[in-house]
Amino acid sequence: MTRKYWKGLEELKETPEFIKQRENEFPSQVSVEEFLSDDKLNETSTARRDFLKFLGFSVAAASLAACEAPVTRAVPYVIKPENVTLGMPTWYASTYYDGSSYTSILVKTREGRPIFIKGNKDFGITKGGVNPQIIASVLGLYDSERLKNASIGGADVAQSKLDAEVISALKSAKKVTLISNTVISPSMNRAIGTMAADLNVNGATKFEHITYDAVSYSAMREANLQNFGAAILPSYDFSKAKSIVSIGADFLSTWLMATEYAAQYGSRRNPEKEVEGEWMSKHFHFESTMSISGSNADYRGMIKPSEQAAVLSYFIKGLGGACAVAANVPASAEKAAKEALSSLKKNKKNALVVCGSNNVGLQLLTNQLNSLLESYGTTIDLNNDLKLFQGNDKKVQAFANQVIAGKGSDMIIFMGVNPVYTLPNGAAFGKALKGVKTTLSLAAYADETTTLCSHASPDHHALESWNDFQVKPSHYAVAQPTIRPLHDTTSALESILVWNGKASRAGKDSNVAYDYIKETYATIFPLGDFAYTTHNSCENITVAAATALTYKSAPITNLPKSGALEVILYQKAAIGTGVQANNPWLQEMPDPITKATWDNYITMNPVEMEKWGYVTTYDQEHGLDLATVTVNGLSVTLPVYPLPGQAINTIGIALGYGRGANGEKIGKAAFQTKEYGGYEVGENGLHVPIGANVFAFASSNFELEAVGTIKKVDGTYKIAATQIHHTVMGRHSIVRETTLDTFLAKDKEAYNPAHTLQKLNKEGHHEERPVSEFDLWDAHPVEKIGHRWGMTIDLSSCIGCGSCLVACQSENNVPVVGKDEVRRGREMHWLRIDRYFASDEEAAVGQRKDKETFSYSKAELAAENPKVVHMPLMCHHCNHAPCETVCPVAATTHSNEGLNQMAYNRCIGTRYCANNCPYKVRRFNWFNYPSYKKFTEVNPAQDDLGRMVLNPDVTVRTRGVMEKCSFCVQRIQATKLVAKKEARMIIDGELATACSDACPTNAIIVGDWNDSKSSVFASSNSKRAYQALEEVGVKPNVWYKVKVRNEVNELLSSIQVVKEAPHHEKKKGQH
Amino acid sequence: MQKEAAIREPLILGHKSYHDVTEDVCRPIEDKAPRMWYILFGIALIIGLYGVGCILYLLGTGIGVWGLNKTIGWAWDITNFVWWVGIGHAGTLISAVLLLFRQKWRMAINRSAEAMTIFAVFMAGLFPLIHMGRLWVGYWVLPLPNQFGSLWVNFNSPLLWDVFAISTYLSVSLVFWYIGLIPDFATIRDRAKKPVAKKMYSILSFGWSGRAKHWNRFETVSLVLAGLATPLVFSVHSIVSFDFATSVIPGWHTTIFPPYFVCGAVFSGFAMVQTLLLVMRKAMGLEAYIHTKHVEYMNIVIMVTGSIVGTAYITELFISWYSGVEYEAYAFLNRATGPYWWAYWSMMTCNVISPQLMWIRKLRRSLMFTFFISIVVNIGMWFERYVIIVTSIHRDYVPAAWSMHYPSHIDIGVYIGTIGLFFVFFLLFARYFPVLALNEVKTILKGSGQSYKESPDYHKHH
Repeated sequence: MTRKYWKGLEELKETPEFIKQRENEFPSQVSVEEFLSDDKLNETSTARRDFLKFLGFSVAAASLAACEAPVTRAVPYVIKPENVTLGMPTWYASTYYDGSSYTSILVKTREGRPIFIKGNKDFGITKGGVNPQIIASVLGLYDSERLKNASIGGADVAQSKLDAEVISALKSAKKVTLISNTVISPSMNRAIGTMAADLNVNGATKFEHITYDAVSYSAMREANLQNFGAAILPSYDFSKAKSIVSIGADFLSTWLMATEYAAQYGSRRNPEKEVEGEWMSKHFHFESTMSISGSNADYRGMIKPSEQAAVLSYFIKGLGGACAVAANVPASAEKAAKEALSSLKKNKKNALVVCGSNNVGLQLLTNQLNSLLESYGTTIDLNNDLKLFQGNDKKVQAFANQVIAGKGSDMIIFMGVNPVYTLPNGAAFGKALKGVKTTLSLAAYADETTTLCSHASPDHHALESWNDFQVKPSHYAVAQPTIRPLHDTTSALESILVWNGKASRAGKDSNVAYDYIKETYATIFPLGDFAYTTHNSCENITVAAATALTYKSAPITNLPKSGALEVILYQKAAIGTGVQANNPWLQEMPDPITKATWDNYITMNPVEMEKWGYVTTYDQEHGLDLATVTVNGLSVTLPVYPLPGQAINTIGIALGYGRGANGEKIGKAAFQTKEYGGYEVGENGLHVPIGANVFAFASSNFELEAVGTIKKVDGTYKIAATQIHHTVMGRHSIVRETTLDTFLAKDKEAYNPAHTLQKLNKEGHHEERPVSEFDLWDAHPVEKIGHRWGMTIDLSSCIGCGSCLVACQSENNVPVVGKDEVRRGREMHWLRIDRYFASDEEAAVGQRKDKETFSYSKAELAAENPKVVHMPLMCHHCNHAPCETVCPVAATTHSNEGLNQMAYNRCIGTRYCANNCPYKVRRFNWFNYPSYKKFTEVNPAQDDLGRMVLNPDVTVRTRGVMEKCSFCVQRIQATKLVAKKEARMIIDGELATACSDACPTNAIIVGDWNDSKSSVFASSNSKRAYQALEEVGVKPNVWYKVKVRNEVNELLSSIQVVKEAPHHEKKKGQH
Repeated sequence: MQKEAAIREPLILGHKSYHDVTEDVCRPIEDKAPRMWYILFGIALIIGLYGVGCILYLLGTGIGVWGLNKTIGWAWDITNFVWWVGIGHAGTLISAVLLLFRQKWRMAINRSAEAMTIFAVFMAGLFPLIHMGRLWVGYWVLPLPNQFGSLWVNFNSPLLWDVFAISTYLSVSLVFWYIGLIPDFATIRDRAKKPVAKKMYSILSFGWSGRAKHWNRFETVSLVLAGLATPLVFSVHSIVSFDFATSVIPGWHTTIFPPYFVCGAVFSGFAMVQTLLLVMRKAMGLEAYIHTKHVEYMNIVIMVTGSIVGTAYITELFISWYSGVEYEAYAFLNRATGPYWWAYWSMMTCNVISPQLMWIRKLRRSLMFTFFISIVVNIGMWFERYVIIVTSIHRDYVPAAWSMHYPSHIDIGVYIGTIGLFFVFFLLFARYFPVLALNEVKTILKGSGQSYKESPDYHKHH
C-alpha cells in the first residue's frame, strides 16, 4: 500500500486557496508583447533611463555569462546503478574472438562505457597474451559508421520486417548456405546445428554451413588428416620447446593462436632462468619477409617460399629421415640451418618445428620432421586440438565457384566473413551475388560483401553481446556484454534462433542469447555455476584422455613452385586481414618492422633495390619509387619499401589494405585524407582506399605465396613512417646486446659496462669512477623517501608487438593525427618502439666491430639480413631532467615521487623541453587535434560517438601544449588511494601502467623503486640492467635490460671482454 | 676641439659648412619623398603584410603550419630570432663602445645603425613570441604577481634570461637612440614651416633649447647610457647563446658559444649596416659624410670579427674530436658531411672565406664589393644559426628519432615578412628622422672636415 504524504495542513484540508494555488503551480507565462502592451506598465515607476540601465546591465551580464564554456550533454545518474560508482572503473572479465585472434580479456568500463581492454593474466589459457588489434577493438564499439539498423536493399527497416522476410526466404529457398568464419561458440554451433536439422528434413541437403577463414590453415588440417587420420590443428607449447624452428610462421603475432604462444615464448626468453637452473629457448627462423617472430630469432635465415621444402628436407635428412626433396639450403640460410640442425639433434623431444605455409606438402614435411624429433606429446599436443581455423579450402572454393557460375544457393547468409574482399576471386564472387535471390549479411558494417547483399541484419559489437567459446576441448570461455547495445543491432546468435523459430525478439534488453548460452553451459557443466564462470570468464573441461594418434607417412606433392620473383602475402600486426582497417589507432600504429603507418607497400631487400635502381631512403618529402606487381594476370601498383632481411628475389605485400575500394562505408578512418582535411577523391569519384588489396594474389588453394613479376613505374609515393633512420650507429649506451654464453660466463663489465669518468681521489690521483657518482645538480629528494616510481624494460623479452603502444594510446587519450602528420614526423604516441637493425659495422646491435675502422656512413646502412632489437621508449622521468630546467614557466616539474610531470595548463609551448630531451619522447600539440578540420576523419575525439572512448581520468590536451608519458599517473594515484583507504602500503605488482598491463611477455615491470623488495628494484639491479644514455647524467627512472641472444657470435664474444684496469690505476699508490 | 693627424683621411668630404650639414640632413625630411621611396615602401609594406598574414594564420591554426616535428622543435623561428638579434648588435656597439673609445667616424653611421638595431630587435622579439604554442598566455614568462597560487617563473631557464636580456637591451637602445635624436629633432623643429610638422617635432624634441646646460646634460646622459649599454652589447648575445650552451644536446652544449655568438653578432650587424648605408648614402646624397673611409673601417671590423668567428668554427671542430665524446664527434661530423652539409659549407664559405678578402685594401675600399660581401655575410650568418639549431637536433642521441626539417611556406612567409616589416620601419625612419646625427657631426667638422684639413691653418697647429 502506498502512503500519501501531505505538503502541509492546507493540502490535507484542501482549502480553496490551496486548490487555486495548486492549479496554478507554474505562473502562466506572459509574453513580451503582452508585457509591453500592458497598460499598467505606464503607471510603474521605471523610468526610461532606468530601463536602459537595466537593459544595459542585462546585456552585459548575458554576454559575460556567454563567455563561459557551455556544458554539453552532461546527464547525471538519478538513481545510482549497481556496480557503478562515479569516478571508479568497473572491470569485466570477458573473452575476445574475432575469427582469427582469441584471448581472455578484462574490459575496463567507466560510467557504463567500456574504455580499455587488456589481457587477462589470471584466468584462461592465454595468460594475458594480447595483440594490438585486441586492445584497439574497443574503439570499434564507438565507430559512428557501424550499421545501426536492419536494412533491406539498403533502406533501413524494422527488425521485425527483416525477420519476416528472412523467415519466409528460408522457407522458400531451395538451397541455403550459411558462410561464416570459424565458429568456436558451442551455443552458436548448437543453434546452427538446430537450424540445419530443421531445414534438412528427411536427409535433404537444403542447408549447408561453410566455414571460411580469410587466412586459411586448411593445409595443416589436411596434412594431419593424412599423417594422423584426423583433420585437426594441434596445440603447441612454446614454453616447452628448447629449440624452436619456424619456417615462415609468425607465431608471435598472427600465426594460429599467437596470443597464447607469445606468452609461452616470452617465459623462455629470460636468460636469468638459465642461471636458476632453467633454460632459455633457442629460436631459429627461416622466412622471406621479416616478421615479428623473425626479428626476435636467435638465428634468422632468408629463404624464398620455394626453398622452404629444401630447408625442411635438410633437417629431415640431418636427423636421419628419408626425404625425396633436395636439401639444398640457400647460402643466405646456411649458417642458421646448420645451427638449427645441431640444436634440433641436441634437444630432439624438446624441439618444435612449425611452418606457416598453407601448402599441404610443406605441412607434411613439417609433420615428418616433428615426428622424427618425437616432439608429438611434448611440445605438440594432438589430443587437445585447437578449434580455430576450421575452414576447408576446397569446400569454400567449390562454393565460390558455384556462386560465380550462377548455380549455387538461392539464399546465402554471411556471418563474420567478407568474401567479396578476401576471396582471391572476390570481385567475380561479388558480381555473382546479384544473381542470388536472397543474400543476408550479419556484418557490423556496410562492408564489401554487405553492400552487395539484399538484406542486412547487423550483429552487435563483441562488447555488447553474450557469447561463449570453446577454443580447445579443454577450455570453455564466456564473453559478457559490457554496455547496453548502442544501436538497434541484434545478436547474431539471437538472429539465428529467431529465424529458425526458436525464439522471439525482445529488444535491446533481450535475454535470448544469454538464456541460450546458459542452456548450452548446463549441458557442458551440469553442476556448473554460470555466474562464477562468467566472473572468471572461463572454465576448464576435463577431457577424457584420447587415444594417441600415430604418425604414418604420406606422399608429398605440389610443393610451392619457384620463380624469378616470389611474392609473399603477409599479415601486419596491426591490420591483419583488414577486419579493423577502419580503426585509426591500428592504422597509425607503426608496423613493428618497417615503422610505416597508414599504408601497405612492396617490401624488397635494399641490396636488391640498389641493383634495380629503386631509391632506398625516404623521409618526409622524399617518397619511394612505385612499382607494379603482377601475379596471375592481376596487378597492383604500390611503393617499394626497403626492408632489410627480405630474401633476395622475393617481395612481400601485406594483406588487409585497400578496404572500401568501391566506396563502401566501412568507417571514417578507412580512407586517405587530404593535407588540409577531407577525403582524397579518386578518378572514379570515390574515396581513395588506404593501400591496395592483394587477396587476389593468393592462389586458388589459398596459399599466400605466389610467383609474379615486378616492374618499376614512374612516380614516387610518400610513406608516413615514424622512423627514417634504421640503425643505432654503434651507440652502445642506447642498445646493448650480448650472447647467452657471454652473459653466463663473463662478468657484467664485459657486456654491460658502467660508463666511467675520471675523477681525482683523495691522494690526488686520477681514478675511473662510474658516472652515477657524478652529480652536477643537487639530488632530488626521492631517494629512499616515500615512493619513487621506476620501470625496467627487458629487451630480451620484448618482442616488439606494439600492444603497449596501442594500450598507451587508449589509456591516455593520445590523439590520432593521420598519415600526413605522421609523415611530417608528428605522431603523438607517448610510447614508441624503436626498431634497430644491425649494420655491417656492428658485431651486434649497438656494438662496434672495430673502433678503429668504424665508419659512420656504413653504419647508417642495415645489413642484408640484420639482427633486430625492439626498444620501447617513453619518458624516462629523469631525476635530473633536462626538460625541467629549461621551461621558462616551470610547466614541467619533478614530483616528490620521482615523476617528471607536465602541467598542461601552465605550458606556453616553447618546445624547449622537447629539444633538450635526449630521448626525444616529448610530443607537441601542433594543432587542436580534437577540433581542427584536418583530423575530423581520423581522430576519434572529433566524433560524438568516438569521443566516448576517451578516458575520463586523462585530460584531452589543447593545441600549443607539450605532452608526454606520465607513467600513467592517474593509475598511480588510483592505486595509492586504494591502498590509503585500506590503510596499507602499496603491494608490489599492484600498480600497472597501460604498457606494462598490455605486455604479453611481461617485458615491462613498474613499481616503487624505493621499496627494496619490489620486483622493479630487483630487476633494475640485475646484471643486465643499464640506463640508456647514462653518461648524459640525467639519472632516468627507466632501466633497460641487455638483449641476450642465444647464439654463437665469436666476434661479439671477442669484443665483450672485461677490460684490463688502466695502467696508472694498477700502479696506484706507487707514485 | 679635438685635433686629428693631418694624414688621416678627413671624415667629412667636400667643403661643408655647419649650415651645409644641417641642409644636407634636413633636406630629405623637408622635401617631398622621391618616387623611389614610395615604390620601395610599397614593396616592403606588401611583403610585411604578407608576413603579418602568415603570422595570423599561424596563430589561428597552430604551430603545425611550420615545418617542425617531434625531433626538431625549433628551426626557422629561432634561427630568425638569433639572426635578427645578431643584426641588432651593431647599433649599440657603434654608439656605445665606439663612443667610449672616442671613435669619431661612428658619428656618421650611429644614428642609422641604432635605428637598424631597434627595428632588428623588434623583428627578433617577434619570433620568441610567435613560436610559443600558446601566445595568449605568453605573459606568464614575466615574473608578475598572480593569483595562480604560488606560481612563479623558472629562473633556471635560459629562455627566461632571454626575456630579460632582450627587453633590457631594447629599452636601453631605444632610450639611447632617442636621447641622441633630441637635439636633431630640435633643429628640424626650428626649421619646420608646416604647423603639423612643427608641432610633432616640437613634441619629439622635448623642448630642447640648445643651451649649454642642455648640451652638458646631453653629453653626460650619453656617456652614462654608453656605460650602461656597453655590457649589454656583450650580455645579450651571450645570453641568447645560453639557450643552446646550457642544453644537453651535442652541438648546442658548447662553452665557446658566448664570445663566439657576440663576435658573430657584431659581424652580421656591421654587414647589415653596410648593406643599408651603402644604399642610403647614395639615395639621400650623404656621400660626403659616409664615404670610403667609413666603409673601410667597418670592413675592418667585419674582417676581425669574421676571423674570430672562423677561429671559433675550427675550435669547435677540433674540440668535438679531441673531447672523445661519441655524440659530440658525430654531431660535428654530421654537420660537415651529413644531410645538411650544404648548409654547413655555405656557412663556412660565407663567414670564414669571404671576410678574409678584406685583407686586400683595394677590395675593402670597393663599395660594390663591400655591398656584395655584406649580403653574403648575412646569408652566411643565417646559415650559421640554422646549422647550429637544426643540424644539431635533427640527429642527436637516439637514432630512431632522427629526422629532417623541411620548411613550410609559412616558415618562409614569416621570415620574408619580417624583412619586409624591417624595411617598412627603416624607410619611415629615413623619411621622417634625421638619418645622420647632425649635431654630433658638426662637432667633428672642424677637426676632420676636408676643407679644414686642407687649409694651411690646420697644419699650423701641429
